[in-house]
Amino acid sequence: MRIIWRLLVLFGRDAGWMTGGILLASLTILANFGLMTLSGWFLASAAIAGLAGFAAQNAFNFFSPAAGVRFFATIRVLSRYVERLVTHEATFRLLATLRVWFYTKLEPLAPAALQGYRAGDLLSRIVADIDTLNLFYLRVYVPFLAAGFAALVMVGFFGLFSGPAALALAVGLAVTGLAVPMLTQRRGNAAGAEINALNAQMRMEMLDAIQGMGELLTYNAAPVLQGRVAGLNGRLIGRQAEMSAITGMGMAASGLLGNLTMLAVVMAATIKVSAGTLGAADLPLLALGSMAAFEAVAPLPSALQYLGQIRAAAVRIFELTDQQPTIAPPPSPAPEPVNFDLDLRGVKLRYEDNAAWALDGLDLHIPQGSRIGLQGSTGAGKSTLINLLLRFYDYQDGTVSFGGVDLRAFSSEAIAAYLSVISQRSYLFHTTIRDNLLLAKGDASAADLWHALEVAQLADFVRAQPLGLDTIVGEAGVRLSGGQARRVAIARAVLKDTPWLILDEPTEGLDPLTEQAFLRDLKPVLAGKTVLYITHRAAGLALMDRIYRLDSGKIT
Amino acid sequence: MSQRIDPRLMAEGRRTRGVLYFAIGLGVSAALLVILQAILLAHVVRDVAFGHANLAAVAPLLWALAGLFVLRAGLSYASEIVAFKASGGIKSYLRETLLSHILKLGPVPAADEQSADLAGTMIEGIEALEPYFSRYVPQMALVVAVPLAILALVFPVDWISGLILLGAGPLIPLFMVFVGYRAEAINQRQWQKLLLMSAHFLDVMQGLTTLKLFGRARDEIGIVARISDDYRKTTMAGLRVAFLTSAVLEFFASLAIALVAVIFGSRLLHGTIDFYPAFLVLLLAPEYFVPLRGLSTHYHARMSAIAAARRMFDVLDMPLAAAGTALLPQMSAVDIVCEDLQFGYGAGEPVLDGLSCSFQAGQITAIVGASGVGKTSLARLLLKFAAPAQGRIIINGTLDLATVAPESWWQNLAWVPQNPRLFHGSIAANIRLGNPAADDAAVREAAKRARALEFIEAQPQGFETMIGDLGQGLSGGQIQRIALARAFLKDPKLLILDEATANLDLESEALVLEAIAELAVGRTVIVIAHRMAMAERADNVLVLETGRVAAFGPPAQLRDVDGAYARLLQAYEAETSEAALCV
Ligand SMILES: Nc1ncnc2c1ncn2[C@@H]1O[C@H](COP(=O)(O)OP(=O)(O)OP(=O)(O)O)[C@@H](O)[C@H]1O
Ligand SMILES: [Mg+2]
Repeated sequence: MRIIWRLLVLFGRDAGWMTGGILLASLTILANFGLMTLSGWFLASAAIAGLAGFAAQNAFNFFSPAAGVRFFATIRVLSRYVERLVTHEATFRLLATLRVWFYTKLEPLAPAALQGYRAGDLLSRIVADIDTLNLFYLRVYVPFLAAGFAALVMVGFFGLFSGPAALALAVGLAVTGLAVPMLTQRRGNAAGAEINALNAQMRMEMLDAIQGMGELLTYNAAPVLQGRVAGLNGRLIGRQAEMSAITGMGMAASGLLGNLTMLAVVMAATIKVSAGTLGAADLPLLALGSMAAFEAVAPLPSALQYLGQIRAAAVRIFELTDQQPTIAPPPSPAPEPVNFDLDLRGVKLRYEDNAAWALDGLDLHIPQGSRIGLQGSTGAGKSTLINLLLRFYDYQDGTVSFGGVDLRAFSSEAIAAYLSVISQRSYLFHTTIRDNLLLAKGDASAADLWHALEVAQLADFVRAQPLGLDTIVGEAGVRLSGGQARRVAIARAVLKDTPWLILDEPTEGLDPLTEQAFLRDLKPVLAGKTVLYITHRAAGLALMDRIYRLDSGKIT
Repeated sequence: MSQRIDPRLMAEGRRTRGVLYFAIGLGVSAALLVILQAILLAHVVRDVAFGHANLAAVAPLLWALAGLFVLRAGLSYASEIVAFKASGGIKSYLRETLLSHILKLGPVPAADEQSADLAGTMIEGIEALEPYFSRYVPQMALVVAVPLAILALVFPVDWISGLILLGAGPLIPLFMVFVGYRAEAINQRQWQKLLLMSAHFLDVMQGLTTLKLFGRARDEIGIVARISDDYRKTTMAGLRVAFLTSAVLEFFASLAIALVAVIFGSRLLHGTIDFYPAFLVLLLAPEYFVPLRGLSTHYHARMSAIAAARRMFDVLDMPLAAAGTALLPQMSAVDIVCEDLQFGYGAGEPVLDGLSCSFQAGQITAIVGASGVGKTSLARLLLKFAAPAQGRIIINGTLDLATVAPESWWQNLAWVPQNPRLFHGSIAANIRLGNPAADDAAVREAAKRARALEFIEAQPQGFETMIGDLGQGLSGGQIQRIALARAFLKDPKLLILDEATANLDLESEALVLEAIAELAVGRTVIVIAHRMAMAERADNVLVLETGRVAAFGPPAQLRDVDGAYARLLQAYEAETSEAALCV
């Protein structure tokens, strides 16, 4: 229940639309009720007047009820139309709000707190789970409140004619609108909760299948994956079949209860009519009215069965948004470094408690304008140092200051304004080369872009493409060759033009000639910058002033 | 447009035809019982209100009614279950077919698709077909059966109201067809937006670290808002049409009912008709419109299904390259000869243009050349991920690779790509990818040969350490070595390594090269290399330049010729001497 309450709080942001939706939904129900009761009464009264002879015929007011019938009919059509527009508008507004909210919560978690999550899983949460949350408003919240409100009015109206009939209606509505939904909710809980998880798993398998297809095929692992997908699908269909059985039951139950209630109402009214305490015309009024009243509660049993699914989706969402970023955001505004010196003293960092220290008492001083080469074998802690400087991971011991300011005063966004990184795993977005570059500098001119491409030795290639800068690179750059993708990433970092440049194995994947040309053209770019050049090879170190060796998290 | 999709969907539906008909039958019977129910109810009301019957007098009728109610409830329950059964079978079948088709397409055509888009088609897309089969198709039957049955009953009772109903009925489907054309395009757009949104979010999730690196992660908030809002607008555009259709239908329905009621009212008042037929028709009039209204609701479901199905059929219609069916005989060694290969991506410039070369068993052949020259593309042809536009690849002197069944070819080879993909799971599971039955000792041995053992054992959980998607939590060099171990474990006849020693330090590189040399005995090894250390150790070097072979031969021989290889080597050595200067 707490989860549902949290959902409601989230929904509070679009309260106006939501309330409007509920009011309109009630109006629709009541208009239909009005239409049916009035028609029933009108026909019977007209028939009675017709039988009663000429005088009664003349006395019968034909026009007001006829106008009433038309009135209710029109209101019903209009309010149904507007209601659906409003509730759906509210729903999709809510969706947008929730997605933005989710992303806003998610973004500070990357990359450290998101380590254990798979991209496909995150995708399922932001797309499918949030879609599911939305069912809550459309299928549960609005119908329930609208039905509750309308039920009060309708039972009250019945009370004007016959107490027992009103009682029968009240009981029928309560059972159909409360008891049966509670039952379907209970029965649908487990199945619903699993459906989203199964979908998410299936999505991850699919992403693996497509992104890792080469390996899966050549290692003959595709049949295994297909088997897993078939298994997931089988379970999903099984769960959905359960849900559909519950839907069938809910619908059958609400239909049956509606009819039985009508029967009870007819019986109660029949007794009064026979006793002469109720007008004959009121019998069809009550019979039709009770049928119409059930329009309010009929959808509730099958709606509530999704509560389990909705709750599971909410749990998946809140599980992420409740995470604390590993680095608490420092108070804004970001500090102004007085210069660009970097100073690390006795810095220790490990990724998990109990794990070995990735940086183990690191001392490093890099004055502004110097060019430092950092060598070290794999696992020496080079990339950890970058993670630390970018504020992706916090260090447990020692002090780090950047420009005379404690590094902890910077958020990763603030520090990114001073550092550019050409990292081993720079991700290319599925868009044009131009847009991938503009990521680094939104207002870069065409000349800037071309200059960056020249330095990265990619300008000739881009020029030769029919679409030039507008060539689409494919998902994660798959439509480029490995070295070309690498060079787009290099160009992007060159374009960023910050006081600090960190190069992490920049020439990996480039042939020696391209590498040589790149290092030649890099030279002028480095002018005036503070440079940290991380490599386990020798290329490019000639451009550096000093070279350190990093070994087991220490400078040696 | 839709004319093409509907029959294809129905053709898929044929798979569970029996169940589908059964569902339709159940739905129709339930609907027909409504008519019976109305007759009984009208009798009760007339008898009580006009015939002065008391409760006991109408009790049999009431019992009959109660019985009917129970029967209807049972039917509606059954039809729900049966309808799902029909669609469930179709969904499973389509998922399976879609996935196997995508896998048959192979990695090269798949690279042109967005994985989130395909995943969305496979999951949400196929889900969108369910209402088509479980609601729309049965509803089509109801729309014909129920109004006809009601008309057949109403006409004899009162032909005036019969005429009114008859007049209002056909207007509805007509109007829907009219609106349908517009709605269809909107639905198509909405579906595309949904897939686009999915693809974008996956891109963002995978690139979130890069976004942060550039301080742009927060800008994405605005983009998420815009995309979600865009999605809202297209969806609402579709829904507005759907709702308007419904509203107009409701309007017709209400108008017809109100008209019937008012006309009856005046006729009753003047005593020209009895209460019973009037009340019966009033009860039946709404039921007459129920299936029609339902159709309008499900018509929207149909259009969503069609939009989703169109994307699905687009994927299924992507042509498969002729795969070849020949099974390879047991081979003790693999010799490969490439003759005049031509290859390009899509309509682009040819990447390989008349390339001929050979790879001999028991030898390491290194492919070198500038970045983007087509080394990986050549590997893709050898791997049968793509077929050459022209030319042949001959295995062991006689077999044309084009005729060989891909699975049979892949069994003989292992491949480590330029950016190896590790899958979510333990390190051991990743190494066992091609050989799930391998025992721990074999896995260890493979890891040892790939120089991966040391760092794996340094992990707290050793081989059972879980790795994230894309090898999260591992360094580039570590991923590389796990991928190598995976290939070593398979112990193949042909080993294709694309930049196998990328991201490795010099020491590890030397060790890995040694391991590759050990493995090469009796096997065919093809390495794509940027690091000349690798090429220098190869038996033969194949130098590529603009889609052709610029030079081929043992490195010692090529070194002395003033050509492409010598230039690469010079550049490489210059770099190494730079290092000598510094360290
Ligand atoms: N999936 C693809 N779709 C379209 N074009 C592609 C695709 N893959 C590669 N290319 C293009 O084909 C050409 C050759 O690429 P290939 O990957 O074979 O180069 P490579 O020699 O392996 O380069 P590198 O050393 O950089 O890895 C390049 O111009 C590249 O942009
Ligand atoms: Mg390549």
